Amino acid sequence: MSKLESHVTVQKRAYYSPPWADVSIIAIAGSSGSGKSSISQAIVRKLNLPWVDSFYKTLTPAQSKLAFANEYDFDSPEAIDFDILVERLRDLKAGKRAEIPVYSFAKHQRLEETTSIYSPHVLILEGIFALYDPRVLDLIDMGIYCEADADTCLSRRILRDVRERGRDVEGCIKQWFGFVKPNFEKYVEPQRKVADLIVPRGIENRVALEMMVQYIERKLFEKSTHHREALSKLEMECKEQPLSERVVVVNETPQLKFMNTILQNIDTDAEDFIFYFDRLASLIIEQALNNVQFKSWDVETPQGNKYAGLVSKGEVSAVICLRGGSAFESALRKTIPDCRTGRLLIQSAYSTGEPELHYIRLPEDIHEHESVLLLDTQMASGGAALMAVQVLVDHGVALDRIVIATYSAGRVGLHRLTTVFPEVTVVVCNILDTQEPRWVEQKYFRC
Amino acid sequence: MSSAPAPTQSVGPEFRSQESKPTATVSVNVDVENVKVLAQTPQLIALLSMIRNKDTDRADFIFYSNRIIRLLVEEGLNHLPVIERNVTTPVGHTYNGLMFQGKICGVSIMRAGEAMEQGLRDCCRSVRIGKILIQRDEETAMPKLFYDKLPEDIAQRWVLLLDPMFATGGSAIMAVDVLKSRGVPEDHILFLNLIASPEGVKNFASKFPRVTVVTAFIDQGLDDKNYIVPGLGDFGDRFYTI
Repeated sequence: MSKLESHVTVQKRAYYSPPWADVSIIAIAGSSGSGKSSISQAIVRKLNLPWVDSFYKTLTPAQSKLAFANEYDFDSPEAIDFDILVERLRDLKAGKRAEIPVYSFAKHQRLEETTSIYSPHVLILEGIFALYDPRVLDLIDMGIYCEADADTCLSRRILRDVRERGRDVEGCIKQWFGFVKPNFEKYVEPQRKVADLIVPRGIENRVALEMMVQYIERKLFEKSTHHREALSKLEMECKEQPLSERVVVVNETPQLKFMNTILQNIDTDAEDFIFYFDRLASLIIEQALNNVQFKSWDVETPQGNKYAGLVSKGEVSAVICLRGGSAFESALRKTIPDCRTGRLLIQSAYSTGEPELHYIRLPEDIHEHESVLLLDTQMASGGAALMAVQVLVDHGVALDRIVIATYSAGRVGLHRLTTVFPEVTVVVCNILDTQEPRWVEQKYFRC
Repeated sequence: MSSAPAPTQSVGPEFRSQESKPTATVSVNVDVENVKVLAQTPQLIALLSMIRNKDTDRADFIFYSNRIIRLLVEEGLNHLPVIERNVTTPVGHTYNGLMFQGKICGVSIMRAGEAMEQGLRDCCRSVRIGKILIQRDEETAMPKLFYDKLPEDIAQRWVLLLDPMFATGGSAIMAVDVLKSRGVPEDHILFLNLIASPEGVKNFASKFPRVTVVTAFIDQGLDDKNYIVPGLGDFGDRFYTI
């Protein structure tokens, strides 16, 4: 909060911990060709989780030359950038976004681009030395060691390197006896002792695979239960209080009520619905823009008269909560045609009702924008909105720069949101006492 | 001729303290019934600052004036008669709503008033729009009616009269006279404009006390050439030709 606004009496702030603030990390180690990649990928596929395995150091030119000659030791812990790995894992543990380097085995170097990982509930860390560094061991929740006999490893490795990484057979064999095997005995095998689970026969070991999947599912379910419990606790806490002064309700003029009558009428056809929603959405956006920061601006008119006016303090951007928020897009373009727009997809899990972040694309410098409008058509329990605000906070957006604009919101959801984030402004058209399904976007997009 | 300077105050949402809200010149308070000035929000002031600024190019001038016009039309439509109407919502609740009664049309005073037609159409699709051409007679320096084309049944309609700059009100007075001669009752006329002068507003209200005037801003006054001060220059030129 800026100094100027510190007079605002912040109501008793409730604490909200997003589900990703407590990520479980599962590390899978084992010798090259032991089947750890297959196992990780099988788990990732089954549970739809992100995984990390590209922490090789960028090679110096000399090392790169060795690598192309198959003489660089990728199978030594020296090749792994544990410092970066530990740093990224700590970021993820703290609920922050982490940039994961991408390593190209074909080019033997770290690529310019990175993959960003954000908000996983469970993270699979897979690598020959996943259980090697004691700092990593401190961060993980479960360590798995994959075991396979040497013949199997070598043959798998040759097949993989030739097919996927464009090497020749001689090179692979040279690497195997030069580095892989000695390193295995020296560094890889000792990890067996610190593992929680040892899986023989890799991917063929269906029993082990099932066990791990079940364990992870249980972990996920526990987390989801905790999160939902925390959400409903928040709900109870804020039921009694009046709405925050930062909840701005769009003036209920006769025109507004007339437009609402058309929108709320089940018999309104699609053409009218879209027209009146766009019209009303423009008013909501105009009202939201009244809550961004302005500064004084003296202008001169063509006749040379002075006028003491205002201008927006800085860039105003928008973040659309998909899918509902995109119904605001045409109104947004009419008000700020070149508004930079980020997108988030948060969906409630079908089985648990817990909000989950599925997709995120934000402007790089969003933390520098003067104001960020967060747009959604309906806000029921506020669970998705809480998550959306937390996502913006994790990306460095200050709370008092966030203005949420929505067509309708449940009273309980509004309470919950403004209790957790008292500095956020909410502009809403209709406040509801009961929860409604998301019918607005259904009518607007006609499916 | 120019009167006292316009008031300056801090503008912004209520939850912010005075010190954290920037100050700006706001609309002059004119004690005339039936004059509705848009809420002096920071966003409206910022939009007005854009179109007043001499350095704003034509594309931006058009864009920002359209946004204000849209707000004016939305406010103007609030003054139409309504009737209660309950509807069933898609989730099966009853919504106690309302519908508008009666038919409307727009009448623009050429040429600048035509710039406001888009804003009207953005809110009311397929609205009928009549036109009136009034120009200053060079010999008498008085406004003179050159042309009009109005809907046949205009007497049965509510009329939104469009002219962005309300200086002396000479053209608006003549336009209202034309509308009245076609049978439109005075209280069925809403006059929408962006910037008004206190003199124009008072003069107009003394002639037509029952016409509702909706404006975004009442400026401090008129200069010796009857231009609004501070104003924004010639609206028609800035919108159409400069």
